[in-house]
Amino acid sequence: MLFNFYPLFKLDRLSSFISLFIGLFSLLTIIYSFKFMQGRKNLWQYYILVILTFVSSVGVVLANHLILLLVFWGFLGLLLYLLINIEENSSLTAKKTFIIVGGSDCLMLLGIGIIYYLTGTFQMDKIKISFTTSYWLLTNISYLCLAAASFAKAGAMPLHSWIPDCAKDAPLPVVAYLPASLDKLLGIYLLARVSLDLFIMNKIMNLFLMLIGAFTILAAVMMALVQHNAKRLLGYHAVSQVGYMVLGIGTGSSLGIAGGLFHMVNHAIYKSCLFLTSGNVEYKTKTTDLDKLGGLSKVMPITYISCLVASLSISGVPPFNGFVSKWLVYQGLIEAVGSSQIVYKIIVFLCLVAAMFGSALTLASFMKLIHSTFLGQANNSIAEKGYNDVSWQMLLPCLVLAIICVIFGIFASQVPLKYFIFPVVGTYTFLGIWSSGLATFLIVLGLFLGIIIFGLSKISLRKDAIFLGSETKALPSTRVSGTEFYNTIKELDILKTIYLKAEKGFFDIYEQGKTLIFGIGKFFQFLHNGILPTYLVWCLLGIVGLFLIFH
Amino acid sequence: MKLVFNYLIFPGFLFSAVVGLISGWFDRKLTARIQWRRGPVWYQNFLDLIKLFSKEIIIPTEAKFTFFISPFVGVCASVIVATMLGRVLVNPSESFIGDLIVLVYLLVIPAIAFILGASSSGNPLASVGASREMKLILGYELPFILSILTIIIKTGSIKLEAILNHQIVYGSHIASFSGIVAFLVAFLCAQAKLGFVPFDISEAEQEIMAGTLIEYSGPLLALFKLTKAILLYIMPIFLIVLFIGKDTSLKFLFLKYIGLITLIILLKNTNPRLKIEQAIKFFWGPVSFLAAVSVILALLGW
Repeated sequence: MLFNFYPLFKLDRLSSFISLFIGLFSLLTIIYSFKFMQGRKNLWQYYILVILTFVSSVGVVLANHLILLLVFWGFLGLLLYLLINIEENSSLTAKKTFIIVGGSDCLMLLGIGIIYYLTGTFQMDKIKISFTTSYWLLTNISYLCLAAASFAKAGAMPLHSWIPDCAKDAPLPVVAYLPASLDKLLGIYLLARVSLDLFIMNKIMNLFLMLIGAFTILAAVMMALVQHNAKRLLGYHAVSQVGYMVLGIGTGSSLGIAGGLFHMVNHAIYKSCLFLTSGNVEYKTKTTDLDKLGGLSKVMPITYISCLVASLSISGVPPFNGFVSKWLVYQGLIEAVGSSQIVYKIIVFLCLVAAMFGSALTLASFMKLIHSTFLGQANNSIAEKGYNDVSWQMLLPCLVLAIICVIFGIFASQVPLKYFIFPVVGTYTFLGIWSSGLATFLIVLGLFLGIIIFGLSKISLRKDAIFLGSETKALPSTRVSGTEFYNTIKELDILKTIYLKAEKGFFDIYEQGKTLIFGIGKFFQFLHNGILPTYLVWCLLGIVGLFLIFH
Repeated sequence: MKLVFNYLIFPGFLFSAVVGLISGWFDRKLTARIQWRRGPVWYQNFLDLIKLFSKEIIIPTEAKFTFFISPFVGVCASVIVATMLGRVLVNPSESFIGDLIVLVYLLVIPAIAFILGASSSGNPLASVGASREMKLILGYELPFILSILTIIIKTGSIKLEAILNHQIVYGSHIASFSGIVAFLVAFLCAQAKLGFVPFDISEAEQEIMAGTLIEYSGPLLALFKLTKAILLYIMPIFLIVLFIGKDTSLKFLFLKYIGLITLIILLKNTNPRLKIEQAIKFFWGPVSFLAAVSVILALLGW
């Protein structure tokens, strides 16, 4: 059937596996929404928008015609705007999102126009542009335009600033559905399509991608470290992880590209799991403020387990899936070093260090999240209410995603790499070794033996209050919330000024653009003061100017 | 079956635990001699463990199930690392489970176990300890990664056996400019990974009453002590494989191991405990600078 649409649509290996995951996330989001969105107004609107998003995402992935791709892409931006607007008091965020994503759509249109000028066709599988032609400037511009569109969608810096705001204000299933999973899949799909198929990459463009990736990883994760709101924290991580994908694709080696694509899938899985679990918490406690939460793991055990698995995955702890894709990206970087000049080598190594250190920072901020939501001392107001876990419609998506995290980690080379990633980038040999199945087997064996021995040895257990020196009971004033974990880092000299600037929106391209545009607006406001003589003077000056020109 | 033997007996659990505990005794003995005391008998650590295993467990009322799991996970992960390192030393021609990057990531798991276990206990002091442990990881991870990258640049491979073979053929990495700088950095990071003075900030007995371990008792505490003992065996071996792996005959291996452990213990006994922000500044400042120098030296081929 699909072949009849051939010049317009095309199903290849990359698009088929991405559409598969788009389907999975749409299904899970709809199941989750049944309970979470219950009792809201205009629900029919919400479900129609979700399904339309699904359809147009598949449209983007299957489109083989650049204009068609652009239409679906723009439509997605509009749908995102409408979906964010479903929540009350989120119109400002929705506007910001729409301006950033819509603005990048304009760039994309420009890029597509240049491509048409260079090649004379819109058909994507016929386009193959090299950077070394005589039109190198136009080629560079068109590539950068398309890359900017994909960055805005996926949320790479500097076009990231809508994601943390959106994560905080939009309805939670929407966040888990769009910025966390679908937008990553689509943005990185576009970047991969553009970098691998439409253009023949050169070293400078690769370096550009790698630097953007490395910078995104570090800067976003440093911001995530000091957040006080669970959803904003996750939002910054949704930005930071894009860095690994861009970095992977930027390496230009097939190992790195495989890592980038695999990380895209993994990220979509664990990040939507994390958002959904924080949705469970929000549903029960009506807050995602980390200062007010704590000690929830006893009342929400399944949510806690899913969140723990997803957190360990995103931090790249073996044997979960995030580790495998990061490991592939690192190998891609090490492979990319092998070639040429010393400057190139140093930059690639900087990126490698940023990526590896970023993963430690990720671990740190997730330890904070886990501690302040599920572990630590319970907040009294929460402890008294005696919650229980949420209903199955909300637990099922979390559990399914957590299980996929484990399976994709342990059987990485047997299942996801073999069926989804290898067919796209071709087979290759790893630089290192990681037999995750064996390692997991040994760890599980050790745990099993340990617990058996523990169980058989009849050790007596006794419950008692915690020990605090002379106190017998932990007072509310001694409660340590996870939000205070990294205050010492926040207070370090250089970081302190950067954090202060970042909190004021100094690094937010949207805020800066707003100041610029309002500045220009003020200038025109100054001119239009409504006094007749001023306008007459302007008219006179204009006439004099015209005379001088056409004299 | 051979794998299970490797994992449980040699060079895995049993062997590393015994060597680690004896090294722990060596630590106590040497410390005692430095402080002009006599020190314990060589099997003192075994007695301590046996005693702990026979005690009851006191569970804090607010504890969560990760409180139980964490000690087991810590032991299992460190045993995996011990097995990997041991197998590559016994037979440098085949690889097992993972490469250097995997190893670095596996080495973080015991620390995660400490943090999660401490957080699960519901004790504020344990939370303070957990936050310090995590900050310490952030501190030493940056120079640690850099010093490991130095080795990767010098060897051109991330496989452990390739790193060892490279040294057997071309001489130890420590015998070059970049190698010795990277070794210094990795040595300091190892001290922090072991949680020894001056970096025992997360456990600071006099200040936060053993921090991360405050609520642990009986067999669960014993498991954490065992994790520490195995780590005390792993870290010197790790340094040997990476930096001074030219001669891996039993005699030299033993001498190198004793030498490194003595260095670690001397550093431990001649320094006061740092504050956590001092430790972070130390690792992100001078140590990372040294590590960056070693990377650049390695890129230049020195």
